[in-house]
Amino acid sequence: MDGWKFIGLVHALRQVSVSISSQDILDVQTCLARFPDLAEKQIIKSIFIHRPQDTEIFEAVWGILLEYPESSLQEYSEDGTINSVLEEAQDSSGTGGQGLGHGTGGVSLTVKGNILEASQVSNLIPFARLEELTSSGVEFEDVVKTILSEMDYYTWINAYDLADQRGELSEETWYEHQDSRAFLVREIRQRLLTVQVGNENSWEPLVRQHWLLKSLSTLTDREKELVKSSIRKWARKLAMRPGSRWKNSRRGTIDISRIVQQSVQWGGLIFHLNYRQRIPRASELVVLCDVSNSMAAFVEFLIYLVTCLRARFRKIRVFFFIDSVWDVSEFVCDDDLSGVKQEIKSWGDKVSSGFSDYGAVFRELAENRLREVSTRATLVILGDGKNNYRPPQTEYLAQISEKVRNVFWLNPLEVQEWNERDNMMKEYRNYCSKVYRCRSASDLQRIVQDVF
Amino acid sequence: MISPLDLARVLEEEGYLIDEEAATTLFLALALEKPCLIEGPAGVGKTQLALALARAEKRKLIRLQCYEGLDLSKALYDWNYAKQLLRLQLAKTENWDKIKVDLFSKEFLLSRPLLESILSPEPVLLLIDELDKSDEEFESFLLELLAEFQVTIPELGTISAKTKPVVILTSNNTRDFSDALRRRCIHIYLTYPSLEREITILRSQAPELSERLTQDVCGFVARVRKLPLQKLPSVSETLDFARALKALQKVELNYGELMGTLSVLLKYPKDIAKLEERLRKWETEAQHRF
Repeated sequence: MDGWKFIGLVHALRQVSVSISSQDILDVQTCLARFPDLAEKQIIKSIFIHRPQDTEIFEAVWGILLEYPESSLQEYSEDGTINSVLEEAQDSSGTGGQGLGHGTGGVSLTVKGNILEASQVSNLIPFARLEELTSSGVEFEDVVKTILSEMDYYTWINAYDLADQRGELSEETWYEHQDSRAFLVREIRQRLLTVQVGNENSWEPLVRQHWLLKSLSTLTDREKELVKSSIRKWARKLAMRPGSRWKNSRRGTIDISRIVQQSVQWGGLIFHLNYRQRIPRASELVVLCDVSNSMAAFVEFLIYLVTCLRARFRKIRVFFFIDSVWDVSEFVCDDDLSGVKQEIKSWGDKVSSGFSDYGAVFRELAENRLREVSTRATLVILGDGKNNYRPPQTEYLAQISEKVRNVFWLNPLEVQEWNERDNMMKEYRNYCSKVYRCRSASDLQRIVQDVF
Repeated sequence: MISPLDLARVLEEEGYLIDEEAATTLFLALALEKPCLIEGPAGVGKTQLALALARAEKRKLIRLQCYEGLDLSKALYDWNYAKQLLRLQLAKTENWDKIKVDLFSKEFLLSRPLLESILSPEPVLLLIDELDKSDEEFESFLLELLAEFQVTIPELGTISAKTKPVVILTSNNTRDFSDALRRRCIHIYLTYPSLEREITILRSQAPELSERLTQDVCGFVARVRKLPLQKLPSVSETLDFARALKALQKVELNYGELMGTLSVLLKYPKDIAKLEERLRKWETEAQHRF
């Protein structure tokens, strides 16, 4: 491998938070020299990648540096001749069939019909349009959406969804279609990253797409799984940390029965001190989640976190709200969360409008539910604070705040958005013990350490 | 072994089928004499890979099963207190200065798996199984062993390995490891085998099964693994399921005749209920097809 490319690769991987030591570099060089018949990529990947979640980012960097050289981008640019050739070769006998592409590239997925071949996908992506959108300063996720929409992606997947609902698709076809979808989106994202990295002449766009830093609402399925797996690990770590009530006697209290049991092994002559298992530190956790459309993605992760932490609390109560409150505590003990997801979707039956009304919710909570809540409880509110110009009724949050030990507010909006006109965070935050931005997995990680 | 293909071949002779990527990574770990950390869901063959490698390399297997609360006295060494007491009782008249040195000599040392692997004069494969179940303190302790193949016992000093052991660590990924530990290892992530690979595994592990039944069972399990279940079926459960069908005199797999056998494949009642529901759909689909 070319030395400059190797240095470039190491630099890029370190930029995107893959930890590479000097020993790793030495090992790679040793192996490249000793085993010239082995694939370079395989050797480098085997030695540089120490965590499964780094594989994807390695593939992205490798792709940008070594698989998509700039020349290949130019090949497809501007005139779209390759795309027009593709269109002629398309087969229109598939499930979709309605509508034709209207984007610059002119390639419509709906006329592709059948399952996409992996080799076709890269030819379908309109690179010139990607470059154009990126240069005009459009946000990453918006570029992806625009490109997909111009490729008739949404019509295409809708046709398949409907066909599936009508029972016209076999399960295998459905799974193949799902794979094609995921592959297409992944490919567009990868190409877009290549363009962005080239335009900005830095690895920053890749860093921004790191799953820990992305908004929870824009995660792919694979990234969602990564976040959930991280949440499980954080929760496990937390379960082993001494709670505040044990901090005076860090190892807990002495367990006489275990000491006697063990000392019998040595005829009672020698014994080790044993300590009792620590018990959960908090008596009650009350979670209040706004489940209006813009919040649904965030609620899922918070509830998952609460589920993982349930052993740490004596009692957990979870309420969902939009303009009124309903109790969903019974679904939180379920590991697969299908009940909770259903509850998030089914808010239509429980509220009078789809617009959040924090004031009314706090009032209902204070008047009807507060008496059942312990004074040692911790209240966690997940909401964007957008009150849709309704009265904030802060007196009720003040009342709640006085009753419970702590009120933590987690807000998925950027801090500067908290001061917008219809946002009541500026008033509500006065009654909270602490307010956090809770937008990405890394925010969530910080909250886990601080709050629980 | 001179190449990953060679490694894959000897492992296959020992009844373990490994894919090319994992074989290359394992080969590099062996070539660099570095520990290999194998991660992946339960039942994908992490431990089996270590066992097959031990047989293939003709190394003695020393296994340390990790659990919460595992400490040095169970993993590395302990002093034989009873023997020390006896020694003290027998030596009442002897010189104390001599005895107190003698009491902490190798004679009174009880070797646990880690020390045993270091002291062994013959080549060994040390399997540290399910490391994620142990505490973080234990993980930190392993760093010296993994990097230098040596351990330090305060009373005796540092003991280095006589023959460098092959070290395999496995994890079900229930908790993350520190960067320090990961950096010292070469990493393999194993997933469930592809349909073709699983058919080959079944053919080699259960040759008594008919070809039709083997293919049907593997195809069925591949479909089941796409469902959102709490625990997906492992390779050994596929094997058990196929053998269970064979015991019931089945020569092929029919969706309508699987009720009652699913508990061999799945372990949670909820998962079984989900699959039973899906089976009805698959059965209707199959009927439409013919």
